[in-house]
Parts: sequence; structure tokens; C-alpha cells
Amino acid sequence: MAEKAILYDATRCTACRGCQAACKQWNENDEVIPTVENGVPSVNRGSYENPPDLSPQTWLKMEFREIAPGGKVRWLFTRRACMHCTDAGCIKVCPNGSLYRHESGFVAYNKDTCTGCGYCIDACPFDVPRSERNIIAGIAKMDKCTFCTTAGLDRIAEGYEPACVKTCPPDALQYGDHSALVAEGKKRVAALQTKGWTNATLYGENELGGLHVMYVLDDHPAVYGLPVDPRVSAATIAWQDVIQPLGWAIGGVTILGLGFNWLVARANVNKEKEKANAERN
Amino acid sequence: MPKEIERYRKPTRLLHWVHSGAFVLLFLTGLVLFIPQLGFLAQDSVTRVIHRVAAVIFVILPLIYLFANWKVSCKSLKEAFTWEADDIDWLKAAPRYYYLGDEKSMPPQGHMNTGQKMWWFMVIVFGVIFIITGFIMWFLKTVAPAALLQWTTLVHDIAFIVTGAMLFVHIYLGVIHPLMTEAWGSMARGKVSAEYAKSHHAKWYDEVTRGKEVKS
Repeated sequence: MAEKAILYDATRCTACRGCQAACKQWNENDEVIPTVENGVPSVNRGSYENPPDLSPQTWLKMEFREIAPGGKVRWLFTRRACMHCTDAGCIKVCPNGSLYRHESGFVAYNKDTCTGCGYCIDACPFDVPRSERNIIAGIAKMDKCTFCTTAGLDRIAEGYEPACVKTCPPDALQYGDHSALVAEGKKRVAALQTKGWTNATLYGENELGGLHVMYVLDDHPAVYGLPVDPRVSAATIAWQDVIQPLGWAIGGVTILGLGFNWLVARANVNKEKEKANAERN
Repeated sequence: MPKEIERYRKPTRLLHWVHSGAFVLLFLTGLVLFIPQLGFLAQDSVTRVIHRVAAVIFVILPLIYLFANWKVSCKSLKEAFTWEADDIDWLKAAPRYYYLGDEKSMPPQGHMNTGQKMWWFMVIVFGVIFIITGFIMWFLKTVAPAALLQWTTLVHDIAFIVTGAMLFVHIYLGVIHPLMTEAWGSMARGKVSAEYAKSHHAKWYDEVTRGKEVKS
């Protein structure tokens, strides 16, 4: 099956947050509306951004940024959700394969088998997975964007595009074959550059082996709050690729060594016994 | 002269068995996360809850013992960090002894021989490492920086690998090795024969028979 992807064009986005609402609606992630009746006080955080962060119930969120290069104010929008990396740190650290690579390339997970260890939360270069954690008991379940493959609500299997893409009014979000969207993204970047946006770039083409959510940006990724060179952390690599194989080797050598010692020592003890018996006779 | 000598008092044996029981539980529930095929046991945090219950026993029990048996504990803790020339000689002679049963060059040993002292030293050092890293992963999970949590997990796992491998050695020497005939009895019943004490722990045997030893 061809690898699929989402292309987000920040220069087309109007930050209507329709994607946020569609994501919640389709995946049944209700939001508590701050009202007097339900006892949730509303808070003014000085931004149209809302809610303040990703959460187990908020898998997609639009971030607003105000910058003023050369005194001219610009209002930038960034889509924040799972980037569905090819070299995904979360898949690497997941102890029991609850997080796995979907046949279409993106990072899916089985919430039923999630152990709640939270290693994926620490390993994600984009700080995306979230969980609600009972600190004392350690009970938790991870949640993040499923690329609309949520069990029982799988749009991809039915041949639909993800809910966020479906709803996007200015077509800032597109869904399709990964290779086709790379070509489309490059075309748009080239168009931006001819219009004078010299820093325009396609983010996600090569990052972490290729992201399955790519961004068309008219400026440097850092300006949009994206990590410039995201990497799977050294701790993840040391732990998964060095310490764990080494652990199995050490355990194996120890058990083999003890078995060898037992054979040699027992043979000697038996020899001593025979000698003692022979002397007695 | 008594035929049998008390080697471990009841509180010490109780500490050993409950503490090692907790460790084995911690070991197995931790091991689950290294074998993807067993990962289903950790599903819904089941083994992770057991891990926490065992961790509480693992931490609290030695503290209770420490304060209830202050003098013995201090002596024993000091012993773990006291290393002499005899210990080097023991290490040199040990392979011939443990493989070939050749006792000739083994220096006389106190209540703990060098090997036991190494294990005891490891239990203390890695016990502390386990507790510190475990505390961070348990209670600071939502507030500590991700990088710290990742390195903490790594250190916790190194301690797990080292102590896990050494646990096999400990069990092997305690119950399987052909020459350690009374090691099991010393921790199960608390007593060893005078003969065994003389050949395995000559210095300690002298102390006992001269009535000078401090019981542990």
C-alpha cells in the first residue's frame, strides 16, 4: 500500500480551527466548555489559541504566533499534532508494540494494550503524546492523533481522508500519496520563493526519515516554532540499541558461565568422592 | 563445643526473604517490559501497579530493619566498604576453588567472605540507585524534563541488568553449587555445622568460639 501523508500549507491556513473541531467530533473527544453551569471558569490567556495545550482529548491544536520582523506584524499559524515520523522515537521505546507503524506509513497505536509507561511521551521529539496519569498507582493511557484510524472510527480503511483534511475550508490541508504530496509541496515552495519568500521551505520531507505530516512554510521552521533538526534522543538510542541487547548478552553469558562452572565443579566433587571411596576400600 | 552455629538471626532471615521476594517481584514485573511477547501482562498498567507495591516493601523493610537493629546494621554496612589485602588474595584463589575445589590458597574468611561482601556491596549501591531513579520515575513523571526521565530510565535498566545477572550468581551459589552445601540452610534455618563454619569462615569461627562475635 502506498504511503499516505497530510500536507499542511501554513500560507493558506486561516486558523479557523475547523480541523480542531472536526478532529474532536469524529474521534469522540469531547471538550469541557467553560461555563458557569458546569463549573469550569473561563480563562483569558491573551490569545485566540484555545485550548492551551494538547491533551488526551485534544489531538490537534492550532498554535498562534505573533512576530514583527522589521516592525511589520505577522500572525503565524502552526498545526500542532502527531507528525507521524518514519523514524519514530515513540515506536522505538514502546515496550510491547502498542505503538506501531501503520501499513500506510503513519504511527498508529492500540490503546487497549497500552501499559501506561509513558516512555513515548519522553521520547517524542515533538512533545506530542499525552496521558492522564494516576501518579500514585502509575495507571495511565497514552493518546495522540491516530491519523483517523481510531478503532471503530477508521476513516482511512474506508478510503476517506482524515477528518481534519475533510473539513478544511481553504484547502490548507491535503491528504494523498506521500510522494505526490512531496512533489506538490515542493511546487508550492518554489512558487513562494519566486514571490520573494526566500526562506520558504517544505518541512518534513527529510526530517526523521520523512514525516507523514509535511508543512509548506514561507519562513524558517524555527519561526513557526518547529524543531529545526528533530532527532530521536541519544538516551533513546543508547537504551534501545545498546543497553537492551547488552543486557540480554550479559544475562545469557552469566547463565552459560554458571552452567559451565556447575559441570566442572560437580565432576571434581565426584572425582574426590571416588578417590575417598577407593582409599577407604 | 556446639555442633551447629547460628549464622543469621531470625530478623535477618526475615529481612532476607521478604526483601528478596520483593526484588524478584520487581525483577519479573520489570522484565515484562523487555519481552514484547509478555507485554500483554503489563496491559492496563497491571504489572506496573504490582511493581509499585513491591517497591514500597523493597524500600521500607530495610529501613525498619536498620532502625530496629542499628548496631548490627552499622557493623555490617561498614564491612561492605572495608576492603583488605585478604580480599585480593581471595579473588585470586577463588576460580581454582569454585571450579576445582582447591582450598589451599583460599585465605581464611570472616562472617562474610569476599564474594559475599561483593554481593552485599552491590545490593547496597544498586539498591540506592534503584530507589533514587525509581522515585524520580514514579513521582516526578509529570514534572521532570523528558531528557532527565529518559536517562533515569536508562540508569534504572543498567542497575536491573547488573543486579539481575548477579541474582542468578547469588541463587546459584546459594543452592546449586556443589561445594556450598550449607549456604541454603544458613539462610533457611539460620544455622550451619561447626565443620562448615571452620572450613568456609575460619576467622568468624574463631570469633564465635572465643565468644567475641557480634551477631548478625
